[in-house]
Amino acid sequence: MPLGLVWRNLLAHRVRSALTMLSVVIAVFLVCTLRSLVVALAAGVDASAQNRLVVQSAVSLFVSLPLAYQGKIEQVDGVAQTCKLQWFGGIYQEPKNFFAQFAVDHDRLLDAYPEIELVEGTRAAFEGNRSGCLIGRGLAEKYGFRVGDRVPLMGTIFPLADGSAWDLEVTGIYRSKASNVDENTLWFHFALLQEAMESGRCRMPPSVGVFVVRVAPGADSTDVMRRIDELFENGPQRVQSTTEAEFQRQFVSMLGGVPTLLSSIGGGVIFAIFLATLNTMLMAGRERTRDLGIMKALGFGDGVAFGLLMAESCLLCLGGGVLGLGLAKAAEAALSVGLQMIVPFYVVGPETLGLGLGLSLALGVLAGLAPAWRASRLQVVQALRAEG
Amino acid sequence: MSEASAGDGPLIRLRGVVRAYHRGGAELRALDGFDLDLARGGFYALMGPSGSGKTTLLNLLGGLDRADAGEVRVAGEDLARLTNAELARWRADHVGFVFQGFNLLPVLTALQNVELPLRLTPLSRQKRREHALHALSLVGLADRVHHRPRELSGGQEQRVAIARALVTDPKLILADEPTGDLDRATADQVLDLLVRLNAELGKTIVMVTHDPLAAARARTVVHLDKGKLGRVEEQAGAAPAQGA
Repeated sequence: MPLGLVWRNLLAHRVRSALTMLSVVIAVFLVCTLRSLVVALAAGVDASAQNRLVVQSAVSLFVSLPLAYQGKIEQVDGVAQTCKLQWFGGIYQEPKNFFAQFAVDHDRLLDAYPEIELVEGTRAAFEGNRSGCLIGRGLAEKYGFRVGDRVPLMGTIFPLADGSAWDLEVTGIYRSKASNVDENTLWFHFALLQEAMESGRCRMPPSVGVFVVRVAPGADSTDVMRRIDELFENGPQRVQSTTEAEFQRQFVSMLGGVPTLLSSIGGGVIFAIFLATLNTMLMAGRERTRDLGIMKALGFGDGVAFGLLMAESCLLCLGGGVLGLGLAKAAEAALSVGLQMIVPFYVVGPETLGLGLGLSLALGVLAGLAPAWRASRLQVVQALRAEG
Repeated sequence: MSEASAGDGPLIRLRGVVRAYHRGGAELRALDGFDLDLARGGFYALMGPSGSGKTTLLNLLGGLDRADAGEVRVAGEDLARLTNAELARWRADHVGFVFQGFNLLPVLTALQNVELPLRLTPLSRQKRREHALHALSLVGLADRVHHRPRELSGGQEQRVAIARALVTDPKLILADEPTGDLDRATADQVLDLLVRLNAELGKTIVMVTHDPLAAARARTVVHLDKGKLGRVEEQAGAAPAQGA
């Protein structure tokens, strides 16, 4: 098949080819970006530890649990360790500087989450300093925090009675070894929070959001969850135990149908571009009628006519697809930084790139099918009568 | 380039050929029981009023169309027996076409247009290029090889089309009103070229024309009327041709 002819035909209508290709570029870029967002949202779920449970109020994640539950949970057969985890929700300097902050059992955090690896500072320094905190590398890079820096946080859920800020000190910077723990989080001593609540500096009843439970080696997580739930079946506060994966999934589902919405937008974009490309190829096929008649008269078969139109469509879409993938990859770093507080671990992965390439090819094949079929069925005499 | 031998009979043999078109439920017979023998090496002009079946006959001879009934045998091949793919292959091997509207691919240069039919042969790229350049030099366009059709005059376009028709060294060249879009002087140049192809290279040429001056250059004039063979006129130095 004269492939050079395919290229020349595309160049013969530069503006149309460029605009069609540009629409494919944008479509593939959007699809890859949206899919990467969906993947990033699900990453925490996929990477969740199998031997970690989360115990929360059976009523809602926003209802706190009594502190006394921790000791009782630790008595349950199959529980190796528990760790308090309380969402803090403070403001650093101004509301737009949003990042996650958790008050935790400072002496248990690093055992509960072995994914956290200190790259600066020491465990002893963190555990030995009541106002100490650990921050992820992402936060350190974004705000220029270094070990020893002060991090004032205005409490929103836990405001101090005198209106001042909680004064924390960076005692360590960590990296995460798995995507279920992101690098834009600040962890500090629950004891600091508890002392403030008990002393009246913070007028909130002493309680905790959830307990993270590490299951003992060999124990069955399902059994452990059942035992914990049964333990508090008669109150005073009923609990619901879930695996960490399920907990993460519930958290993602709190975003409503966002993943579905993103996927739907991506699908809609692809369908719209399919129609645009199909229109382009039908126009190209009609314009090429006489040329195809000439080629058939010269002895080129129906298969060549089919292949010419199909190759033109595929080249157009694959070209646009590759450029779109390149754009998605090029924008990865900027989007990763821009979205890190909402969707950590934004990465345009090889599977997404493969999907984009496959979609581009499928788009080319589907858009080329009708005009290519028509080209293959053209009768020479009729085709030669067509307007050139 | 020389004509390959394919037996001693006529190059073209038609018997009882019928080709009908259907318009609005009515049947219009463009060829109605048509018989004709054309010898190899001849230069034939097909003449007749519009609707007499000239172009239909040319299309059948070139395997561009199929007869509804009868036998169309060209270069020993019964075209009705060939599948579409075989017919395409047969066209590539045996026939060169020259059309009224030149029918060059606008995105290709003169050289690429002439080279196009050679892509169906096993020739190397280098050989294809050599053959195409040779064909273009035969028609006097060696200095226009990289021009696109829109950069050529009508006469030059038609000469490129003739170069394309002869580049595969076919037995038969079919020309449909090859001078129809050209002025007199340019038409004469094109006709000179066809006469040379016939006289010097031994190509059998069948040319449809309305132009008596063009027909006068042929060795035989075959008249058609309402889908049937009319009179056959041998001209000076006439090639043998006869209604069966």
